[in-house]
Amino acid sequence: MTGNLRKNLTGYGFVLPWLMGLTFFIAYPFFAAGYFSFCDFPPMKGPMFIGGDNYVELLSDPIFHRTLGVTTMFAAVAIPLGVLLAMSLALFLNAKIHGQAIYRVVFYLPHLVPTVVVAVLWMWIFNPEAGLLNLVLRYLFAVADGWTGLFFDIDRLAGGTGSLTPRAGLLLLALVPALLAWGPLARKIHRPESRARPVLATVAVVAIVLAALAIVGALLYRFAPGDMKKIHSPGWLTDGDPFPAGVPFAPSWALWGIIIMSMWGIGQMAVIYLAKLQDVPVELYEAAEIDGAGWWRKTISVTIPMISPVILFNVVMSIIGAFQVFAAPYIMTQGGPENKTRFVAMFVYDQAFQYHRVGYASAVAAVLFLIIVALTLVAFRLSKRHVHYSAR
Amino acid sequence: MSSVGEKKTPWHLRTVVHLVLIVGGLFFILPLVWMIATSLKPLDQTLMRPESLTTAFFATGYHATINGTEYPVTRDRPVELGKGESLYIVTPAKAFAAGELTLPFGPDMWKKSVSFTDEERRQMDANVTPTMHVLADENNRYDPAAGTLSLRSGRVVRADLVRRVTAAEAPPGETLYVVREWRPEDTDTKGVSSPFVKVERAWDILPDSRIRTGPKVIPNNYPVALRRVHFTRSLGNTLLLCLMTVCGTVIASVVVAYGFAYLEFPGRKALFALTLATIMVPFVVTMIPVYLMYRSLGWVGTFKPLWVATWFGNAFFIFLLRQFFLGLPKDLLDAARIDGCTELEILWNVIVPLSRPVIAMVALFTFLGTWKDFLGPLIYLNHEKQFTLSLSLQAFASEHGGTPWHLLMAASTVFSLPLIILFFFAMKTFMRSVATTGLKG
Repeated sequence: MTGNLRKNLTGYGFVLPWLMGLTFFIAYPFFAAGYFSFCDFPPMKGPMFIGGDNYVELLSDPIFHRTLGVTTMFAAVAIPLGVLLAMSLALFLNAKIHGQAIYRVVFYLPHLVPTVVVAVLWMWIFNPEAGLLNLVLRYLFAVADGWTGLFFDIDRLAGGTGSLTPRAGLLLLALVPALLAWGPLARKIHRPESRARPVLATVAVVAIVLAALAIVGALLYRFAPGDMKKIHSPGWLTDGDPFPAGVPFAPSWALWGIIIMSMWGIGQMAVIYLAKLQDVPVELYEAAEIDGAGWWRKTISVTIPMISPVILFNVVMSIIGAFQVFAAPYIMTQGGPENKTRFVAMFVYDQAFQYHRVGYASAVAAVLFLIIVALTLVAFRLSKRHVHYSAR
Repeated sequence: MSSVGEKKTPWHLRTVVHLVLIVGGLFFILPLVWMIATSLKPLDQTLMRPESLTTAFFATGYHATINGTEYPVTRDRPVELGKGESLYIVTPAKAFAAGELTLPFGPDMWKKSVSFTDEERRQMDANVTPTMHVLADENNRYDPAAGTLSLRSGRVVRADLVRRVTAAEAPPGETLYVVREWRPEDTDTKGVSSPFVKVERAWDILPDSRIRTGPKVIPNNYPVALRRVHFTRSLGNTLLLCLMTVCGTVIASVVVAYGFAYLEFPGRKALFALTLATIMVPFVVTMIPVYLMYRSLGWVGTFKPLWVATWFGNAFFIFLLRQFFLGLPKDLLDAARIDGCTELEILWNVIVPLSRPVIAMVALFTFLGTWKDFLGPLIYLNHEKQFTLSLSLQAFASEHGGTPWHLLMAASTVFSLPLIILFFFAMKTFMRSVATTGLKG
């Protein structure tokens, strides 16, 4: 036996388990699924080739369209929202303050909770009567309504007539501390080293935020009274109405429930971003500071480009994940109400294991795979210009 | 919030960061607190809308004095009485079937008030003993003059008046409640092994002011919940599966990764690229043919489909381990080769000891994945005896349409606890693993 052959055989010997695994558990099923999608599976018999019939049926299956729509809607809302929230969370967790270790643990903990527990726990949280979420919402909205009610007549806002009461003018008072802290007047009354100025600025920010809350509340009551009434105590998982009601293709309340629940597990992503944030070379920030960049500028021009590969990676994994969402809708809503939380992975499961339509389910899986590949390619293509790979 | 630079972040920015993190943290931590809080509540307090945020998280211990004895009680339901209306608590002179009554001791009540055990319900369904007090209202008509009780079935029995309840009993602004004696064992929604329990419980109609809050009696939620999800059996199944998958994944992936990292053979690069590509293949796509394959082997309904595949390695972990191996000093390897070690010996004596952290990470990931897995067991396990914790919990939840929240939350807490404890013990490995998985790309 020559040394070379022996060496090669050793190499193949080491990867042999994976070679077999790859063949039996990935390659074979992958191509088999492709073949099955062109077949009919009568019970107790082998696959029978029927051409593209399964795909033709898919084209006109309203439930399949619905599941695809639901999944797309979920992906379109949950992925950008998730990336944005995880990103901001990571930036906050990266700030140099005390207690970060505790915060990080708190945000990471939900990731450890098993899927089924998450589903059952959030079913309980979404309970319209005794659930935690509606309890908090009722409480928060009682406060918010009270605050808006101080300045506006909530009952008459929806009608639009005489909705502006003189009391709303009081909100303009919020501008007073702002005028005293910034602007030409402030320059006259404060000396440069004055300590009153930052205090006034803080008061101004708080006052403006509070006034804005009242105004936003009033605007919502004016233009979306139905939604405002509902959001005080939604029926969550049982409610198939869209929110916001006026927007076409808006997710149903039940779907929003699943989206909110999926946001609960975002800590994992935030910790990944955080790890990358800490790897960004300090020199880059120093260089930016010399160029006069502020915090925002540094975040946009240094931080985000430096961690963009991780963002892309996360987006791609989230796309694949979104098309596999199964446990949450299966346990929490069984796809209801009116199939508005029937995700496409659930459809595959139902067709294959409940109705025993293996061929049809395979066709759905094949379509699913093509969609995932297409979306991934789009993500890579779009990101080409924006994702920065460091030389390392 | 500037994260870099020597100068300290100004106090107002630090305050803002703290505020944002605390408010955000509430969203992440409150559900877990709520889970534990619910698991410590008696059943009836999970059915009604909590009066405030405090009572939502902390169970209230209600106490009332009924016939001179103080009992821990449940507030079953509010009673609304108009002016001049009154209710009678009466004792019927003759036994009658339970179906003839209505609230609070009629069938409606028995279906709704799940804190009675089956045994108790059956007992009550059989007949209502003459000594039992009955609430006479608009359904069970009581004629005080004649001393007769007209039941829903149309039957009329003689009944003695125990007490007359009028709206005047409630001081202004207060509500009258049906209160009932409560015992810690009243947590079960299904009589699993409850011995014969005496049906009669002290009960009365009392205004708010006579229902005192006092020391809480902790309900036996945990033992009952664990019994209902067959905890020991499910835990055993889950741990067995975890053991098999962790061993399989670690051994196979380490060996294969070593092959990819250090051994030369034709097609290595192409095979590795293919391996990376398979990470993108979703489980949903391969699920069906794999299932059919296992079915033709006769493995459906056994644990085998859930662990056998792990003994062939896992693409992602192979990638992870290979990257780590490539970072190890090559000199060690060469030295060992010169010493005449075989490749397996090198792997075992040189590489593995150096790679403990990354191997721990792979083991941890696999353990978590198996512990949390739902779809796999759902597809392949069909006998209750084989159910993992995930399946048992889901079965328990769907069996009831999710009503006994106190028990579900108790089971959920126990189910999540091992992972959280594990996390605190292996925090370093966890955080490193998170950082490393993001490294890809």
